[in-house]
Amino acid sequence: MAYVELHDINKHFKKFHASKDINISIEKGKLVALLGPSGSGKTTILRMIAGLEQPDSGEIVIDGKVVNNVPGSERGIGFVFQNYALFRYMNVYDNIAFGLRVKKVPEDKIKERVTELLTLINCEGLEKRYPSQLSGGQKQRVAFARALAPNPQILLLDEPFAAIDAKVRLELRTWLRQMITKLNITSIFVTHDQDEAIEVADEIIVTNQGRVEQSGTPQELYKNPATPFVAQFIGNSVEVKNYDKFRYFDKTGETSVAYLRPEFVSIFKKGESVQFANSAEEAVVEDIIFRGSNIEVKVRIHDNLISAIRSINNPEIKVGETVDVFIYRIYVVQGDEVILATNSSLADEAIVI
Amino acid sequence: MDLRKENKALKYILVTISFIFLGVFLILPLIYIVITALKEGIAGYVNAVTDEYAIKAALLTIEATVFAVIVNTIFGVAAAWLITKYAFKGKKLLSTFIDLPVTVSPIIAGLIYVLTFGRQSSLYPILDSYGIQIIFAVPGIVLATIFVTFPFISRELIPVLTAQGTDEEEAAAIMGANTFTIFRKVTFPHIKWALLYGIVLCTARAMGEFGAVSVLSGHLRGKTNTLPLYIELLYQGYDFTGAFAASSILVVLAIIVLILRLVIEKHGRKELDLNK
Amino acid sequence: MNKRRSVIPGFGISMGITITILSIVVLIPLCSLVVFSAKLSFSEFVYTVTRPRILSGYFVSISTAFFASLVNVVMGLILAWILVRYDFKGKKFIDGIIELPFALPTAVAGISLTHLTTTNGWVGQIFYNLFGIKIAYTRIGITIALIFIGIPFVVRSVQPVLEKIDIQYEEAAFILGADSKTTFRKVIFPEILPAIISGFTLAFARSIGEYGSVVFIAGNTPYETEIAPLLIMAELQEYDYSAATSIALVMLGIAVIILSINAIAQSVVSKRVNGKA
Repeated sequence: MAYVELHDINKHFKKFHASKDINISIEKGKLVALLGPSGSGKTTILRMIAGLEQPDSGEIVIDGKVVNNVPGSERGIGFVFQNYALFRYMNVYDNIAFGLRVKKVPEDKIKERVTELLTLINCEGLEKRYPSQLSGGQKQRVAFARALAPNPQILLLDEPFAAIDAKVRLELRTWLRQMITKLNITSIFVTHDQDEAIEVADEIIVTNQGRVEQSGTPQELYKNPATPFVAQFIGNSVEVKNYDKFRYFDKTGETSVAYLRPEFVSIFKKGESVQFANSAEEAVVEDIIFRGSNIEVKVRIHDNLISAIRSINNPEIKVGETVDVFIYRIYVVQGDEVILATNSSLADEAIVI
Repeated sequence: MDLRKENKALKYILVTISFIFLGVFLILPLIYIVITALKEGIAGYVNAVTDEYAIKAALLTIEATVFAVIVNTIFGVAAAWLITKYAFKGKKLLSTFIDLPVTVSPIIAGLIYVLTFGRQSSLYPILDSYGIQIIFAVPGIVLATIFVTFPFISRELIPVLTAQGTDEEEAAAIMGANTFTIFRKVTFPHIKWALLYGIVLCTARAMGEFGAVSVLSGHLRGKTNTLPLYIELLYQGYDFTGAFAASSILVVLAIIVLILRLVIEKHGRKELDLNK
Repeated sequence: MNKRRSVIPGFGISMGITITILSIVVLIPLCSLVVFSAKLSFSEFVYTVTRPRILSGYFVSISTAFFASLVNVVMGLILAWILVRYDFKGKKFIDGIIELPFALPTAVAGISLTHLTTTNGWVGQIFYNLFGIKIAYTRIGITIALIFIGIPFVVRSVQPVLEKIDIQYEEAAFILGADSKTTFRKVIFPEILPAIISGFTLAFARSIGEYGSVVFIAGNTPYETEIAPLLIMAELQEYDYSAATSIALVMLGIAVIILSINAIAQSVVSKRVNGKA
């Protein structure tokens, strides 16, 4: 049952149309990512749910009630800001207690709650520290505790990992995911990093140019991108201009644009592959990038530069070498939709062998 | 929703209070000066401002101001460059000494020059033997004017140069440019508006200085009287029209300074944004 | 002076120019003050600065400067607030005119304020006829002149800080349920407090030493409206340099104390915010 819903939301900033007919429905207890490039309107959606922005039209519904005219502080929301916005002149204790104090909660209850949260975020003993004396990860946890202190029903996080360095970021992702699962609180976070969204979220809402492109589980988005944008944005896709020139792919739509992911492509040294010997195409290697655990090979084929991943255990390939390329699948753009096309030689594999 | 524009009533109260406060404290005195200056008609006004002694006072004010601006520009540029481009011991102390003159009462500023160059000073016989008189003479007035406006230019340049950093100068130096070329081609474009702003502030303060100049001037009409001192003289002689007429010249200059300030600040802000 | 091996040429020449001009304008005169002070006899110094007329001068200077600076804190805060947070007609004008006390010669301001506030002046007669309050030639008049010259200090120190406060802090307080009063008190005020203190102390230090705008409006009645800088001036006109220097030394001491209080306050705050407590 949907807990947070947005119906036909539109929002302008002066002439900029930031949100276009947004419809979203989020179930209780889910951890949802709003994913999109910068300027795609994801933060605006989050800020409207929080009551920091008012939509020009449309309804925001939380727990069955329209909350458009309810101030953000009364929507049962906790908000973790991008740079945490911890109050610099208050120590950790006072920061976490702030939301309880303004609600006139008795001081002994506040103490109980703050202590409980400090234990939860593993920051016991830091209550007297000021924000400037905390590490990035600690700040993030304190911001999390401050947002949770008044017992919100929904937790909103604006780019929660953006301000943290790469190494700690991975740890914090896991931590946050565990925390939210443990507390079973409906959470929505904004990110521009697809790995982050895929790894952390139960469900992803992809935004682009003020619209919602697609929403679904990470697997769904990955397997069945609904729009050309999603096909191109998720995975390290490259655009292919004339896919119908590839062997065993026939033109199905009006245009011949398609998206190709590295994992859809295999590259073999001459004579290496028996299986695809007859159905592969020849191409010349233009670049080789060592990625640590594997090797990315870039080849030019029918005027398109495409990538494939090769295991480091396979025989070495050099730049300028002519290789066999076999493409399993591509996402073909048909108008506003995307269709998965499979190499037709795979259908009559028996004949090939 | 904009959190910062919530309370209309509060806004109107605060804006109204501000207008009344500034109206009474700043605008009213200006209007009063102009009206009093013109009390005896245009002819009386013209007479008062073209008085021989008024013109001499104005010329001395210009002389002192020009000297102060030149010395402080040279000093300000050198000091700001020194402080922002090099690391050396005693930098903090140097900054403190540069800022010191504005925190000292103008009367005390005058006093220390009297102590330095006056009759009881050990420098006095040496200077006297060359026929140089400093206090109660024009050089004293010039020195006092330099003193009270001392940090005005360096203080405007230092923040801009700090924001700009030293990368560009280092790049130019590695390519073999000399000091003058680096300053002219690399540094100067960054600071030109800030420098102009500092010069405007320095000019404004220099032409209006009263206390320090008052101590060091011999109050000789036509010889060591600057415009502000001349105004005092007229005022104490109950020549109010004359005093306010002379004041009105300085009011006009002050207004020009304020307008220049806004114009320069507009350009300067753009520059500071570019530096970031 | 320990020269760092910087690749940028010109250290020598800029250091040379700086030190030469600094020495002539500031260091040598300052040294002569020190040398001259060292020659003062201690008992004479104590006798000079504890004369009732001198003590009264200090009191008048400090008390009027203090009240004027307090008024300027309140007004400066309001002005900075409306300039940063509101849009209204005449905003550019206010922003420009605030600097007038820096640009207008103090003597000019002094005579104009005096004439306006005498018992038959435009403003003075209103207060005199309605409330029986005299402004010019009283300590109220001195305070008025000091308010005039101190207006820009607090505004100009608070304004840039207020501009830089990230709206996220206010949004965070808002979502946690704070009303605008609480947000101002708990979140915004602590951010601008260091700037307020610094504006106040600068205005205070400047006001204590102010001469030009005050001499005309003060009336200079001994024990009533004689300010300390005027007493130095009076001693100088008598060529009593020892007395003038003694009075000046005490004033310099007061200025140093005021500015040190500010420096301490700023370092306490910056330790907290920059995390070195």
